[in-house]
Amino acid sequence: MRKGKRIHSFILYSILFALFMGLGLPTVVQASESNAKKGTAQNPYIITTDITYPPFEFQNDKKEYVGIDADIINAIAKDQGFEIEFRPLNFSAGLQALEANQVDGMISAMSINPEREESFDFSDPYYEAGTVMAISENNKEIQSYDDLNGKTVAVKVGTTGATFVEKLQEKYSIKVNQFEDSATMYQDVVSGHSDAVFDDYPVMAYAIQQGLKLQLPLEPEKGDVYGFAVNKGQNAELLDMFNTGLANIKEDGTYDNIIDQYLDSDEKGSQNGFFALIQKNWRELLNGLSKTLLLTVISFAIALLFGVVLGFFAASPYAILRGISRLYVTIMRGLPMLVLAFFIYFSIPELLNIKLTAFIAGVATLTLSSAAYISEQVRGGIEAVSGGQLEAARSLGMSYGKSMVRVVIPQAIKIMIPSLINQFVITLKDTSILSIIGIVELTQAGKIIIARTYSSGSMWIIIGLIYILIITFLTWLSTFIERKMINA
Amino acid sequence: MPKLVVKHLKKNFGDLEVLKDLNFEVEEGEVVCIIGPSGSGKSTFLRCMNRLEEITGGSVIIDGVDLADPSQNINKVRENIGMVFQHFNLFPHLTVLENIMLAPDELKDETSEETRKTALSLLETVGLSDKADVYPKSLSGGQKQRVAIARALAMKPDIMLFDEPTSALDPEMVGDVLEVMKKLAREGMTMLVVTHEMGFAKEVADHVVFMDEGYIMEEGTPDQVFNHPQNERTKDFLEKVLV
Repeated sequence: MRKGKRIHSFILYSILFALFMGLGLPTVVQASESNAKKGTAQNPYIITTDITYPPFEFQNDKKEYVGIDADIINAIAKDQGFEIEFRPLNFSAGLQALEANQVDGMISAMSINPEREESFDFSDPYYEAGTVMAISENNKEIQSYDDLNGKTVAVKVGTTGATFVEKLQEKYSIKVNQFEDSATMYQDVVSGHSDAVFDDYPVMAYAIQQGLKLQLPLEPEKGDVYGFAVNKGQNAELLDMFNTGLANIKEDGTYDNIIDQYLDSDEKGSQNGFFALIQKNWRELLNGLSKTLLLTVISFAIALLFGVVLGFFAASPYAILRGISRLYVTIMRGLPMLVLAFFIYFSIPELLNIKLTAFIAGVATLTLSSAAYISEQVRGGIEAVSGGQLEAARSLGMSYGKSMVRVVIPQAIKIMIPSLINQFVITLKDTSILSIIGIVELTQAGKIIIARTYSSGSMWIIIGLIYILIITFLTWLSTFIERKMINA
Repeated sequence: MPKLVVKHLKKNFGDLEVLKDLNFEVEEGEVVCIIGPSGSGKSTFLRCMNRLEEITGGSVIIDGVDLADPSQNINKVRENIGMVFQHFNLFPHLTVLENIMLAPDELKDETSEETRKTALSLLETVGLSDKADVYPKSLSGGQKQRVAIARALAMKPDIMLFDEPTSALDPEMVGDVLEVMKKLAREGMTMLVVTHEMGFAKEVADHVVFMDEGYIMEEGTPDQVFNHPQNERTKDFLEKVLV
């Protein structure tokens, strides 16, 4: 009996304990969930990758994550029979998520180095990414580093490629052109400004596979090795499965197939043709164009209102109003639009402690700048009419306001229309400057497509043609309207 | 009481003294011609009569109202002072009839039918009834100036200011404009005319004023000024223009 009583009290205490724990219900639920077998469909391993870093990870047309990293981890998961779920984060956010155990593993073209090994456990290296030299498709002259003597080389600031070229410079006389992004750097060689370019092998090989008109005459240098990482002391089982799976897919050829798919230049993409580029990217270009038009129309409408008011100030008989207008115009005319855009997007939020979207900052930039020019045109229009016309109206006893409305402005508008159409076109073209604060208007859309397709040559022709077409059309339209108005 | 009294009128453009202490009177119904070499200040003087030029000092009193007083509603005063400019200043975006009707439409308490009737009868007076619906650009200079006179008259002013009304006209156009002005004079309009037409001044003016260097050098009847000038400057000037 005693024994039975003890069992009873054990059950009682257990119930009490469970009730007590029940106060922390979410904890219990979470605990029970993590008890389910890791790596099943109900409880997959959470794997983080970078958001876009071709050819290692990027979204395809179907919005699925593909690329060398993504395909390798998928192949290994299939081989080892576990389930994964991607959680794309940018690289540094991914590192933090892994450290905080928010994700189970990270595969993101991450070099294995001693500092990282202090925080993370790495798999066997799954890829070696060395620097490689590329030259123009038609170049037969450069076959070794010796041939670089007296030549010009393009590098990206702060990369291992740049460091490698610095070492070469100790031996050879090489002129270096520095670039901020790969697409522009490659184009510099394609268009013949530079003779060779140094960049990470996989990135460059992928670009060539996508149709970039470069070739790789030499093997890549030894370079960093990439590894799959888990948090220090966590998920050892996952790491084991990765290593075993990696060995398996290397053995059965899956690994080579994956690498070849992205880097083998024999399977060149055919999308760099002029019309193929339009065909594949028309939706993106159209979105960019509509953003450009939206920015232009909104900005110009507000600027017109604002500019007319300032123009009236400038032509008014009151010195203080003329002063305000002149000060405004002087400031805006003295500011490059790029600086104005940076000021509005970066300085104003900091100074006033407010948040501005890029679109609003863009509209503000265009509006403030165009308003200054419009006000000058309004002032010019009014002054061209003023004088005798204003005196004649005033001499009849009409007030300044009535004289302006009935006599001066109707004539000034006709004078101003051509220059306002011109200002509209300028505003439309100025939207391209706003790509600098990340608004995806037509120019930025072009830059993005180029970053993916490495087709600067054709793409800038396409973008240029779109601008010319749309501006020609709008100019024709407004001249048509102008003629209607004048005849009316 | 005189219709218009000018007392110690001064006008400066910056440091430049254009009018220097002018005193002057005009009786109701009088026609006064102001003559003098160019740059003598006669146009500026005329433009002070409806304050198109701000008055620097002194007073311009019309029907007991001082124009130099800034508290006066100048727009109301100007309704009674018509002005005709050397370069017509017709409104090019309006037809002839609209040019004439604009100010009365805006300012007078009459129906637009009345305004229209007045405008058409004024066009008849200046001999341009057939031009009511054309735009100013299709008119000759003389026709433009006659429309401008009709436009000024549409507000039914009791003083008319003419600022070299025939100077911009081809010689064959001058006569028509002067005819209209003579008709006005005969009807008893008080008129101040800055002009180079000495013949007109001799024939029509009740009073001639000779200005030079911002002063009224001499004034009197046409006979006094043209036939018996006292001032050396007047004699000089007349010798040059009456050759």
